[in-house]
Amino acid sequence: MEKPIITFARWGNYTIAFKTLFEQLGLEVIPPEKTNSQTIAEGAKIAPEMYCFPMKVTLGNYLPALKRGANTIFMVQNVGGSCRQRYYGAIQEKVLKEAGHQINFLDFRATPKDVYRAIKKISGASLWQILKAGRFFFKKLGLIEKIEKLAQYYRPREAKKGTTDRLLADTFSELEKINDEKDFSRLKKESLQELREIEVKEKKDLPKIGLVGEIYTVCDPTINFEVESKLGREGIEVHREMDITYHLKKLIFPWKDWIIQRKINPYLKSTVGGHGRDAIYEMLKYIKEDFDGIIHLLPFQCMPEVTVRPILEKIHQESGIPFLSLSLDEQTAEAGIDTRLEAFVDVVRNHHKKKHLTSNI
Amino acid sequence: MIVGIPRALIYWKQPCFWETFFENLGFEILLSPKTNKEIVEMGVKVADPETCFSNKVYWGHLLWLDGKCDLIFVPRLKAVAEASLHLSPHPASRSSVTEEKLEYCPKFFGLPDLAKILVKTPILTETFDERKEKFEKTLEKLGKKINKNKKEIKKAAENAFLKGKELKEKEKQDFFKKIQTKKPKIILISHPYNLFDDYVNLRMKEKLEKLGAGPIFIDEVPIRMQNAKYKMQNWPKFHWEFGKEIMEKIRTILNYKIAGAIEISSFACGCDAVIKEFVEKEFKQNKIPFLYLMIDEHTGEAGIQTRLEAFMDTLS
Repeated sequence: MEKPIITFARWGNYTIAFKTLFEQLGLEVIPPEKTNSQTIAEGAKIAPEMYCFPMKVTLGNYLPALKRGANTIFMVQNVGGSCRQRYYGAIQEKVLKEAGHQINFLDFRATPKDVYRAIKKISGASLWQILKAGRFFFKKLGLIEKIEKLAQYYRPREAKKGTTDRLLADTFSELEKINDEKDFSRLKKESLQELREIEVKEKKDLPKIGLVGEIYTVCDPTINFEVESKLGREGIEVHREMDITYHLKKLIFPWKDWIIQRKINPYLKSTVGGHGRDAIYEMLKYIKEDFDGIIHLLPFQCMPEVTVRPILEKIHQESGIPFLSLSLDEQTAEAGIDTRLEAFVDVVRNHHKKKHLTSNI
Repeated sequence: MIVGIPRALIYWKQPCFWETFFENLGFEILLSPKTNKEIVEMGVKVADPETCFSNKVYWGHLLWLDGKCDLIFVPRLKAVAEASLHLSPHPASRSSVTEEKLEYCPKFFGLPDLAKILVKTPILTETFDERKEKFEKTLEKLGKKINKNKKEIKKAAENAFLKGKELKEKEKQDFFKKIQTKKPKIILISHPYNLFDDYVNLRMKEKLEKLGAGPIFIDEVPIRMQNAKYKMQNWPKFHWEFGKEIMEKIRTILNYKIAGAIEISSFACGCDAVIKEFVEKEFKQNKIPFLYLMIDEHTGEAGIQTRLEAFMDTLS
């Protein structure tokens, strides 16, 4: 067998952590290309027409990496429960082989045992090495998520526009190069310090928007046209609960799902696959926390999210919270999304102001 | 008391079963009429624009029933054991009794909750999940909701099973009659709610017959998978009840001489996007002409007619 050169599905800023994971295992990695309109178009060209958007995007991300010599693709199977995500691997392998790529496709269910077996087989690393790589992976992942969360807070408050985003880009590019745990601790300290030192305008009550929806579109800024930073620059604090840690926690501790189910019982009494239930749960939570708007992101025709959307709309009608649902696919144009966001921001600001007025009386 | 049953989507998974069941319990049944233009328009108006066409049709039927009955029956179908599929006339025959539990389309899971938002009539529902409890047990629970005791439920269910079996037998005989015809045989692949609803599939069967073909529905094909040769799978392990079934039935039908295959898919059906890839592959490998047709509320009869005519020309 020729030497495996790994590439994998790209997923927003978390790609950095995945790249490190494979590198730490002593594997050669060619990271997937950053998502842009060209990769999306290339992916959509060979993907089945009716398939959901993230599959087309990740397919497009592989192609340049395959061209540069990658021959092994990693894909996990059970991010989505009973939705189509389960067949991403099968379909991508079929489509890529039909397009004439000689690849070895590693498609596995993400139980710890299977992950271990798959990694062991491909890398031949010892258990100790795998554990160490895993630890480093989670450290990096944790930092990425933490920085993203902090940025959500600082973006609307920064005195000089664009400082946070610039800092974020610098940190991530630095983080990508680091292969040593010592360097990592230094960077972590420095970057968090720098973030906290961002000059802020006077602290005041800002309008808040909760981001709910499908995990891939919510977490990947290149897919959702940087919704988070766009809203941040408009002076709106964005919150989102969905990230990899959240998902992994739910995989490991099933009672989180039970709690969610109990909370959403008046609206939906069953799972609908994917993160359908979570969207309802998060929306209810944000309403309780007195948010000023909800943005629901989903890939076009995503089965779970489309099923729960009428319920989200009902909650929106009952509570009066501004609600915007954006479905994304390869034909969505940035200008269209921008216009809708701008209009929505106005609605949110008004909602916030009105609330403020009435609370003062 | 009148129980309303929408004649769409999940109804076609077990036609006759629920009517017979409730009739035997002494209820009056109100079945919504066959799909027509008004029903589709009603459904499309209220449905989420991105949900699948079959779902939109279902909403139309629900709205038609709204106010005309005391209860609307919308079961929450979640998972089914393969062995118990025999109670419906369509799905697998009894021969393949493995205790594997397969799921329905995830869009079915939320039907009762979404129906509650849509209509004012109370919804009668129960969760059918054979991974957790047996079908008969769930029926008993359903009986409790409508104040019927175990004995009554058991009797009604048995009658309903019998009726289903009768239908299945008839279908089987029909299949062998159809397969012997001299006309070019065309296999129509889709979900039962697309195949058996004439308005939804734009009378595809009638059109094909007029063009001189002998259409066969995939649901009518019996499964015969004992032969080891068929067990060579070219497809991933589907967790959907229909995925596995469709693939296995295609393997069976390939033993007979068929002229062509048409897959009908309702627009935005997520499951079909997966299955189509493997269905197409199977026919391409066997060099059988394959046509993929998408139906939605905008599909015109003339367009379908042209494509069918062109397809028939390629066969000869």
